[in-house]
Amino acid sequence: MDTQALWLTLRLALSTTALLLVIALPMAWWIASGTGAARVLIQAIVALPLVLPPTVLGFYLLVALGPLTAPGRMIIRLLGHPLAFSFSGLVLGSVLYSLPFAVQPLVAGFRAVDTALLEVAATLGAWPLRTFRTITLPLAKPSLVTAAVLTFTHTVGEFGVVLMLGGNIPGATRTLSIALYDQVQDFNYAAANRTAGALLGFSLVTLMVVYWRGAERRPLVG
Amino acid sequence: MLPPLRTELAVRLRHRVGALDIDVDFKLRERWTVLFGPSGSGKTTILKAIAGLLRPDEAHIACTVLTGSDLERTLVFVDTETGCFLPAHKRVVRLAPQQAALFPHFSVLENVMYGFQEMVRDEQEEKARDNKIEKLLSDFQITHLVDKYPAALSGGEGQRVNLARAVAATGCRLLMLDEPFSGLDVKLRDELIMNLRERQERRRMPVLSVTHDVAEAFQLGAEVIKIAEGKVVEQGPVEVVLAEERMLLLQQLGNPTSQIRDMGHPI
Repeated sequence: MDTQALWLTLRLALSTTALLLVIALPMAWWIASGTGAARVLIQAIVALPLVLPPTVLGFYLLVALGPLTAPGRMIIRLLGHPLAFSFSGLVLGSVLYSLPFAVQPLVAGFRAVDTALLEVAATLGAWPLRTFRTITLPLAKPSLVTAAVLTFTHTVGEFGVVLMLGGNIPGATRTLSIALYDQVQDFNYAAANRTAGALLGFSLVTLMVVYWRGAERRPLVG
Repeated sequence: MLPPLRTELAVRLRHRVGALDIDVDFKLRERWTVLFGPSGSGKTTILKAIAGLLRPDEAHIACTVLTGSDLERTLVFVDTETGCFLPAHKRVVRLAPQQAALFPHFSVLENVMYGFQEMVRDEQEEKARDNKIEKLLSDFQITHLVDKYPAALSGGEGQRVNLARAVAATGCRLLMLDEPFSGLDVKLRDELIMNLRERQERRRMPVLSVTHDVAEAFQLGAEVIKIAEGKVVEQGPVEVVLAEERMLLLQQLGNPTSQIRDMGHPI
């Protein structure tokens, strides 16, 4: 097993999950807290990675972050190197690619919180942020866990975006899924088998954990 | 003579919910006012508009706070003409909803204390605060429930926690109770009304409660605003406004067989 690729994959998945939760929480709260055309548009954009081939996202990011665009040139000047073909670039791509897996469970979780509770909190003088922190977030905690686990798992399993945006640099952008692709290209089926087995086992166990929690959850409203 | 109220509320509201057109204009003049009317007459919607939980089609709701002998400050809650809308958490109006809506992940004590925020600087103040909380819990007869969670409460217990939570919240200008005593037996209701009265006198805040129970309105001895199909029918002392309902009730009570006979079961 390519341990370097394994560690890189875990590091990428962890960074993506942490960053994505920070971004997805306010976003999901905003989407869940009302209706209107703006929210529909944002929701559709968030859901795009679910239907687009990952290579499309990878291609656009590759172009946008490269020297062909103004933001890309600025990043190159600031960092001294392009974001593409680097670990940070990979994190950015993963964040965008896994966005729906973090936002959608959170939106569903926030919407499931009884609005009567939020109304009561407001009439008791709680500011919206306090209501969110003390009522919405604790009651939506199961969906927060779901969002984190799905993001992590999805990032571990991503391939197209990484290949387009990251290339195949050992220690920087060569994740397990890319390593597996390489092993197959090299007709090294024994190594490929181990890598594929590890990814399969990991995904199955994580999903079991998610469903286990779901089955154990008791109705909260009494 | 009782000291005057600290708060006066003027409500002018037009709002459409489903098939019901609400169009009311009234002032709270007495310490305890009852919105009386059948279910579906728009009572709860009126409370929600005052609390800031809905955006009315057309409204001017303002609250005048009497701060001193001749000082007063008017606070506009909502004025659709100027586009002014004060969000619920800034209105300092406490509403105990009809459905208790207790926070399921908090204990009874945490629920009651949610809106209670009092700074204590020394031990003496801390003791005073603790006494206050203890008195509140015993007034609403929930002292033995403090560590329980809402899921473990009966309907009546939950309703008491709901009322205590609204009353406990700091800095109340107006207390609104939506069918506060439904699901409570008469003895408990009497005690709660007495306690609420006592608190109200101390804090000089007006109470606006909703009911469709004639006996309750008389017991409160309140000013009554009679509502039907979204309109104010009459406002005044309970003996005047609900005289007809009282007669009807007395007839039913005085002639226990009349109902049975009406139902076609002669004795």
